[in-house]
Amino acid sequence: MSFIVLKKIINYEQNFAITKKMDLLEYQAKKLFNQVGIPVLPSQPIHDPRELKGLQIPYPVVLKSQVSVGGRGRAGGIRFVENTIDAIAAARTIFNLPILNQYPEVILAEARYNPVEEFFLAIVLDYQLQKPVLLGSITGGIDVEKLLANLQKVVIEDEFSPFYARRLVTKMGLKGKLIQSVSEIVEKMYYLFLRKDLDLIEINPLGVNSQGELMALDGKISINNHALPRHGDILSLIALDKVKTTEDTVINELGKKINWLDSFNQKGNIALISNNLNLALINWDLISQAKGKIAGCSIIWQEYQGRALPNTDSINELELALNYLKEMPGIEVILINLITDAKTIELMAEKLANYFQLMAQQIAIEKGTDRVERPTGAASRNRRKTNSKSSSITVKQDTELQIVLRLVGEKTEATKALLDQLPFYWTEQLENAINETITLAN
Amino acid sequence: MKESTVIIQGITNPLALYYAEKMKKTGTNLVAGIAPGEEIAAVAGIPIFDLVEDVVLKIGKIDTSLIFVPPYQVLDAGLEAIASGIKQIIIITPQIPPLDMVRLKQKAAATNTVIIGPGSSGIIIPEKLCLGILDQEFYAPGNVGIISTTDYLSYEISLALKKAELGESIVVSLGKDDITGSSWQYWLQYLQEDENTKIIVMTAPLNVIYEENLAEYITNSLSKPVIAYFLGLQAPLEKNFKDAATIIANQLSYSVPSDSRYHLLLDTFKQAKIPLAKNPSEISDLVLKIMKS
Repeated sequence: MSFIVLKKIINYEQNFAITKKMDLLEYQAKKLFNQVGIPVLPSQPIHDPRELKGLQIPYPVVLKSQVSVGGRGRAGGIRFVENTIDAIAAARTIFNLPILNQYPEVILAEARYNPVEEFFLAIVLDYQLQKPVLLGSITGGIDVEKLLANLQKVVIEDEFSPFYARRLVTKMGLKGKLIQSVSEIVEKMYYLFLRKDLDLIEINPLGVNSQGELMALDGKISINNHALPRHGDILSLIALDKVKTTEDTVINELGKKINWLDSFNQKGNIALISNNLNLALINWDLISQAKGKIAGCSIIWQEYQGRALPNTDSINELELALNYLKEMPGIEVILINLITDAKTIELMAEKLANYFQLMAQQIAIEKGTDRVERPTGAASRNRRKTNSKSSSITVKQDTELQIVLRLVGEKTEATKALLDQLPFYWTEQLENAINETITLAN
Repeated sequence: MKESTVIIQGITNPLALYYAEKMKKTGTNLVAGIAPGEEIAAVAGIPIFDLVEDVVLKIGKIDTSLIFVPPYQVLDAGLEAIASGIKQIIIITPQIPPLDMVRLKQKAAATNTVIIGPGSSGIIIPEKLCLGILDQEFYAPGNVGIISTTDYLSYEISLALKKAELGESIVVSLGKDDITGSSWQYWLQYLQEDENTKIIVMTAPLNVIYEENLAEYITNSLSKPVIAYFLGLQAPLEKNFKDAATIIANQLSYSVPSDSRYHLLLDTFKQAKIPLAKNPSEISDLVLKIMKS
């Protein structure tokens, strides 16, 4: 059985980053360096080329594109300038230069420095050892191969103490006064690492001039997303709307969050809804093994770990997810896979019955008005916007959307009867649900 | 194990309340809940205290604490439990800042405390003991020991086992965070020694397994048969790096980590001839096959 929905076209905020950490830009990292006394050059963030007229740093300066992707040097995102006129021209060029499709919103104007040596220093959380690790290389800079060839490692076994830093720098092969001065930088890095819940802090290069003075010439800081909300200073440092989180979070008109994990497969015509990511992953694997194409999955009831607890409004999330997915271009089959308790199943069966009854009524109404709306300019503009994700997807105005429901848990006879009346296939068996989904999607 | 005393830290959390009642019904000896400053005497017949040490003074030794407090309070709750001499801590709350866990693990190692989670669903011995948010109704007593990351994954396996009239000796959920307390090795060894367990099933999404040489460990240290079911090979899971040097190498060369780590893990299991199930129902087929031989 199937039912027909008219695909309304709405705008999606797609977020393709799958990561558990938030990368700070160089100028933001340097602000934190400065706070703990890691030496950085005088610098000034520039948001508009005209700001260079009031530059506080004496020329010559270097202008650096502030993007979170690498390779900016090779791409022309770093320029040396001698005066204001050159600086404004160079800044205009950098602002208009995409680096791996990313345009900078800020350029860092920084004093120049002539290092005689360049070191690499980093602290990362090693997930295999489940401990922080200090890393250093005496050959820092842009030659990655050389850097890695000399990479030294010290594991923080228990509480950090400066001797770990000294152990690292002597392993790196540093001698004399540098042992103490570079160790102090590592100590300060560790202080930030611990206090700011970092996944990674890196200085590359740490420049050493002819007087043996140290300077953090470039830096990278990644903060763990799970800790980000408790660091107000970092939240104010970064633009909040730029925070990329693990799952794509779409806030709908009711202010409710839809958690959506995208497959990045533009041909995907199957969407999953489940109350647990692992359940969805089992489906994902099995459907892929059977050559089905997944668009992504939506995980509901996350607040209480997959449970639609009584007296919470979790139960409505299924409806919200359905509303979201039925508007999404290219989706033809939705597999809903839920394992839950008797009470939730009863409540949900009623909700679903109401939902599809209401939808049938809406379709009847909208079908009547559709012919009038279709030729307007607004409609076609919207369509283009939605399609910006992929030009290969054609949005059909009338689509048959199929639903498969796999529902595990105790059910009363009344609930079963209610489920049987729903306008789509439902089962308790995993295999049946997968087979039905594949059949409908092909 | 049934007599062991259990408390819940963060009992006013709706999930905690819901499962506190469920646990009481299955006979878990849930003696107290901690909810600082809530000024309530009891919920669902469970007395409420401000401090863990007050419970110890009043009731005596506590064996297990289930932690439901918000993520940023988990480290503190864990340290409080350890300070009161609790030797088994199950952290139900997921998504704890990793460095909080690093610190809690240091303290746990120094005091011989077992930590399960964060993001654990707990432990269940069907019809005997329930610690956490695993629902009794999806399990049946039997001889298969399941180690899984989360609840729903073990439900799916238990459902498949049930169809073949098989059941579980014990189900342990290790949690879904990147830094977790007790390891796969620890629980594999535990099930090896558990006399009710005849066969061990281990299951997880591929991206949360950080332990190296698991296959080697199973071959060399366990005499009981092990079946593995890994998932997520087809999905865009977070590509987590594991060791520091690889993180830096990837970071510097701006390369996106590949799936090779997952294939590497699968290969070590294949080489060690540990059966890898392709779907939940294949697990019960494998269990039956092993039992017959």
